[in-house]
Amino acid sequence: MLKSNVFNKKTRNNRIKKEVREVYLRDDIWCGASSCKTCDSSVARLTASTILVVDTNVVLNQIDLLENPAIDDVVVLSVVLDEVKNKNLSVYNRIRALCSNSLRKFYVFSNKFHKDTHVDKMDKESPNDLNDRAIRVATQWYQKHLGDTTRVLLVTNDRENKRKATEEGIFAETIESYVKSLAQPSLLDLLVQPASEDVNMEDVEDLRPSKRKLIYEEHKPMSEITSGLRRGIYHQGKLRVNRYNPFEAYVGSESIGDDIIIYGRTNMNRAFDGDIVAVELLPQDQWHEEKSLSIADEDDEDEDDVHLAPSSADDAPRTTNLVTTDEQNSVPNRPSGRVVGIIKRNWHSYCGSLEPMPMPAGSGSIAHALFVSKDRRIPKIRIQTRQLGNLLDKRIIVAVDSWDRQSRYPFGHYVRVIGEIGDTGTESEMVLIDNDIDARPFSTQILACLPPLPWSVSSKDLANPIRLDLRDLRVFSVDPPGCKDIDDALHCTALPNGNFEVGVHIADVTNFVHPGTPLDDEASKRGTSVYLVERRIDMLPKPLTEDICSLRADVERLAFSVIWEMTPEAEIVSTRYTKSIIKSCAALSYVEAQARMDDSRLMDPLTTDLRNMNTLAKIMRQRRIDRGALTLASAEVKFQIDTETHDPLDIGMYQIQEANQMVEEFMLAANVSVAEQILRHFPLCSLLRRHPSPTKEMLEPLLRTAAAIGLDLDVSSSKALADSLDRAVGDDPYFNKLIRILATRCMTQAVYFCSGDLTLSEFHHYGLAAPLYTHFTSPIRRYADVVVHRLLAASLGIYKLPSVFQDRPQLTSTADNLNYRHRNAQMASRASVELHTLIYFRKRPTDTEARIVKIRANGFIVFVPKFGIEGPVYLTPRGGQKGSGDWYVDEQQQKIVKMDGSLSYSVLQTVQIHMEVVEPQPNRPKLQLALI
Amino acid sequence: MVGLSEGEKEFIKGGISQDLRADGRKRYTYRPIYIETGVIPQANGSARVRLGSTDVIASVKAELGKPSPMQPDKGKVAIFVDCSPTAEPIFEGRGGEELSAELSGALQHCLLGAKSGSGPGIDLSSLVVVEGKICWDLYVDGLVISSDGNLLDALGAAIKAALSNTGIPRVHVAVNAADEQPEVDISDEEFLQFDTSGVPVIVTLTKVGKHYIVDATSEEESQMSSAVSISVNRRGHICGMIKRGGQGLDPSVILDMTSVANFVSRQLIEKLDSEIAAAEADEDES
Amino acid sequence: MEYVSPEGLRLDGRRPTEMRQLRAEIGAVAKADGSAVFEMGNTKVIAAVYGPREVQNWSQQMSDQALVRCEYSMANFSTGDRMRKPKGDRRSTEISLVIRQTMEACILTHLLPRSQIDIFVQVLQADGGTRSACINAATLALADAGIPMRDLVTSCSSGCLNRTPLLDLNYVEDSAGGPDVTVGILPTLDKVTLLQMDAKLPTDAFEDVMQLAIEGCKAIANYIKEVLQENTKQLECRRGL
Repeated sequence: MLKSNVFNKKTRNNRIKKEVREVYLRDDIWCGASSCKTCDSSVARLTASTILVVDTNVVLNQIDLLENPAIDDVVVLSVVLDEVKNKNLSVYNRIRALCSNSLRKFYVFSNKFHKDTHVDKMDKESPNDLNDRAIRVATQWYQKHLGDTTRVLLVTNDRENKRKATEEGIFAETIESYVKSLAQPSLLDLLVQPASEDVNMEDVEDLRPSKRKLIYEEHKPMSEITSGLRRGIYHQGKLRVNRYNPFEAYVGSESIGDDIIIYGRTNMNRAFDGDIVAVELLPQDQWHEEKSLSIADEDDEDEDDVHLAPSSADDAPRTTNLVTTDEQNSVPNRPSGRVVGIIKRNWHSYCGSLEPMPMPAGSGSIAHALFVSKDRRIPKIRIQTRQLGNLLDKRIIVAVDSWDRQSRYPFGHYVRVIGEIGDTGTESEMVLIDNDIDARPFSTQILACLPPLPWSVSSKDLANPIRLDLRDLRVFSVDPPGCKDIDDALHCTALPNGNFEVGVHIADVTNFVHPGTPLDDEASKRGTSVYLVERRIDMLPKPLTEDICSLRADVERLAFSVIWEMTPEAEIVSTRYTKSIIKSCAALSYVEAQARMDDSRLMDPLTTDLRNMNTLAKIMRQRRIDRGALTLASAEVKFQIDTETHDPLDIGMYQIQEANQMVEEFMLAANVSVAEQILRHFPLCSLLRRHPSPTKEMLEPLLRTAAAIGLDLDVSSSKALADSLDRAVGDDPYFNKLIRILATRCMTQAVYFCSGDLTLSEFHHYGLAAPLYTHFTSPIRRYADVVVHRLLAASLGIYKLPSVFQDRPQLTSTADNLNYRHRNAQMASRASVELHTLIYFRKRPTDTEARIVKIRANGFIVFVPKFGIEGPVYLTPRGGQKGSGDWYVDEQQQKIVKMDGSLSYSVLQTVQIHMEVVEPQPNRPKLQLALI
Repeated sequence: MVGLSEGEKEFIKGGISQDLRADGRKRYTYRPIYIETGVIPQANGSARVRLGSTDVIASVKAELGKPSPMQPDKGKVAIFVDCSPTAEPIFEGRGGEELSAELSGALQHCLLGAKSGSGPGIDLSSLVVVEGKICWDLYVDGLVISSDGNLLDALGAAIKAALSNTGIPRVHVAVNAADEQPEVDISDEEFLQFDTSGVPVIVTLTKVGKHYIVDATSEEESQMSSAVSISVNRRGHICGMIKRGGQGLDPSVILDMTSVANFVSRQLIEKLDSEIAAAEADEDES
Repeated sequence: MEYVSPEGLRLDGRRPTEMRQLRAEIGAVAKADGSAVFEMGNTKVIAAVYGPREVQNWSQQMSDQALVRCEYSMANFSTGDRMRKPKGDRRSTEISLVIRQTMEACILTHLLPRSQIDIFVQVLQADGGTRSACINAATLALADAGIPMRDLVTSCSSGCLNRTPLLDLNYVEDSAGGPDVTVGILPTLDKVTLLQMDAKLPTDAFEDVMQLAIEGCKAIANYIKEVLQENTKQLECRRGL
């Protein structure tokens, strides 16, 4: 049966285009109820005697409720799915996941294409009314189709739709009354409260009449925004809230070509981090209004927490002209603006806890509470709950529903409990949720992709002509102690002509992970393994990670090898790439390897190999540094964890040995060689890694600090910077390292990209001073390396290139996902270290030495080298009147000086501080730094 | 391309002078006329008209435009005709261009009035959305699929039918004062229908020998000395006129022709109205 | 963009291997020697055949075979946006050539020396697969004109979106940027006479996609045979046989 669907579409240049689409109506779309005799029951999902048909508004607003297993036997109509997809993609993905989840009973009914449920637009019917009618028609069809055996209930919160449904003889209920009928009170908390225009009189905070006014400007209607954008009055971009100051946000605008700064919640006008917003520029004379930022500003927010020292510019707080005196820097350097409308919301759920509050009288009644997100960029969220007593000392997840103009904070609803506050398990899970890390065990489908255990190299592998048998080579691995996922091994053989044959052997993960399998899909989604202090979340299932792929000692393993012939001067004569079979003779730790090299009595072949390699590595490293590679430094912290309580026992800086650098050097070389090879064969679809040069603006804080202490840094190129960093030697041994740490945090992070998306000059890796770079050496824990392995295999003609590579947008999105996952993995590691630092100091107040790294108006930020943390030290008491302090800031000298001149602190100065965990509010422990 | 022998020519001329044409018609009788509307779904309006073996399609596409500064209160209509080579092999390549231009020109004369825009057969002021700012531009495209004479009348009828079939989405204009181009929103819910009762029909009188006939076939057209096309509206007003063909006409004959045209047009309009109504009903049903 | 829903339905309600609705009509242009209208869903083309007749341009005459010519044109109103292209743009010229070569390969030209056959195809509505529809219409028109042919030629396109091979792409699917394979076959002889593809496609996927298109061509061939038989029956009937 054929139908035509006609609609008008407005094209960009105000032209109107009439579109005609065919619609084929079918009689082979099944109802999905197992009780049905006429339909194909192999696809049946619905078993209960009552089935629900949900309206679009229910899916859009109550997705958290639908995800609760208490709700089941739901028919999701395709018209509902389409509407949801148009309105909110993330909800769409969630409802789709529910529909495909075999444990749930959600059935998609393509009502649009069913001959009896297709509806045609009637005259003067709005699209909304049409969809509502389609939903009713489908519900009615179900009722008739299933007869008396099953009750069909339309769940809708649209009053009009419900009225019409009842008139037409359909059972219809609101979601509230349906949930009530289930008699599970805890489900009620999951319900989203409908956004009401009138102010809720029971609001906890805003009882004061003065606060009941309109707080925020009205958002402009969409048509005005589009016309404003076109005329250049408004600017569109994604709002990014400063991680370290939630009252400051940036909107990257293409029309301006620069970030627009948004100061304060009023100007942000209810926009969340990640929202696509329309911004209006403020008049120029207001551009520098919030010039002297103290460490923390605005009324009731927490101050800066002590946190792990940032390792790159992406982690560090964004620097604006932080401290300015009135005369200098009065020229506004950045445009600032205010949000006039929100084009696309980025609301999702957030984890955190409730703000402590007294228990209201009469338990079990509805209480209003404020939720504080772990993510400081998110404002507090108001929720209603019937289980306040239960939730107060818990970490919970909350979703945002609405934010009206009269309310200081947005409204949301409770989703679920994570666990007790302060419990290590709970806090670790918070870290995972906060960084969108999937730590669920691998599904059976994924595990089914693994080869049967115990696995060993088969005769088929040995006979495979693409595999080189390297079992007789003296291959060994060097890793951190206790490392189980060994993905790289090395060998070094002296050749008769005086040259060396050096090989890097990487676990052959792609021999086990094939494109298009559930295993590959999952790995590509996870993107990377995540290393927390007390646990590791693997990208691949454990049997692969720790056994089949891991290049352990004394077992035969499959590898992908890069083999060079090198002169004693470490010049590469030739490069070979091959799949291979190796048998590692030793799995050394860095310390062991170092000890062997240092022990002059040892003359065994393995030690000789190590020494040869080390010599070569040193030459390579020097050459790299001569080219301008930066020797950067970051403060890496190492914990000793109690095996039983999982509490940290000791904390200290990670010691880097020569052996580390040796292995690193050969890995770099392998990555560079592979990058060259794949780019040569696949100039448009190679996955590479680049590190953009830092902009002048990013280096600004480093230069300011350097100038204050009379150090002259040349940042014109990476080479110049490397040289001036080398020259920066003070009388204090830690000085050079400190400068390097400061330099490191000015850099952005390296990112993956698809070679077709950029030009050759943009491929450059600034930090390594390499024109090309990629990741090849850790396929067990990074998906990028898996991709690169496939590219390399295809470039050698061993395997066909998987079809993903034909599809550039998909490759680009793979690269984007990898960047996102990597960043999250790093953030999670940092958060985990911060968490354990807190646990460590809870029982151990400590006095230690710290260095001032930044001057603020009411104090300074110190870096504690021993523990790799950074945090504020206040000179004026908090809460005191602003500006009444007797300290002033000398911008030129980067100094904070007491009014009477008796005391001053300048940047990089060493101070003694006391570190202690305090609990200003119950269950909210934090680390406090104070001057001694 | 009609190749006729002398005998055949005489037969045609003789028949006309005796008011019994080769296909049995009288001089002022049209061939049976068939109309289908909505044949081109992606157009705002369309119609296919068959007149004997002559087969034409007309479509109307509406686009938003800006009124000309001379006439801020009127929309614009443009007519294009294309002769498909399926109708005649000589239309291949650029072969049909001359005839296409001639037909487009004649239709413009007969339906759209003077260059200045005055006196058109189609009411242009109903096309204005915001005076001086936005109006509808109608693009009328005619396509000749099969030709057996009297293309102009067939195209005229097809355009009339297509216009009455045309629905235009209602537009909402966000008026913001100083702005050059206002923001336009279209609704899918409502359509504007044109009042096409005032659109004239075209009657072509072809002079063969001493007499003139309506709705000439291509054989008859090959014997014509001249032809006059007159567009007449429902009220009997002449909306446009064009004379084609080489030979001169006595002014009295022209006056005579107009009165004949007036008479014939009344029948034609009636016939078209009922056909269009039937076609629209058909379309609604399907 | 989701071109095939997880329920296995395309945007227009078809399943991946289903063709759009076919409709054919013989004899749409009274004056032509043979003509036909062919519709595949919303794509609608009309083909007219003139000939065999005297060669119009003497210099092109061939003493051992017939001259086959073809012109493809699109009506201004055939696309969603009104066309403003002049006649004879490169795309039309290319398609004209493709159709001419395809049809020439199946006409028994050696039986009609010193004559000319003109095939004119006019697109009335374009909604993807115009090339295929033109070839199918031309086959019918040639048959209607009684021109001797080796076999029927039928054509169909297929593509691959969301990693699913799809038969007979409509305009929306065609403009999705995926590969588009147009195949023409001689159904009785079981030979492929036309094969065009744009965009990239891995070899093994190509096999599936091409096979699908061939299946489509076969289905169209069956339909065209039915139409021709029906038409012949009507002719017989009219002659009183």
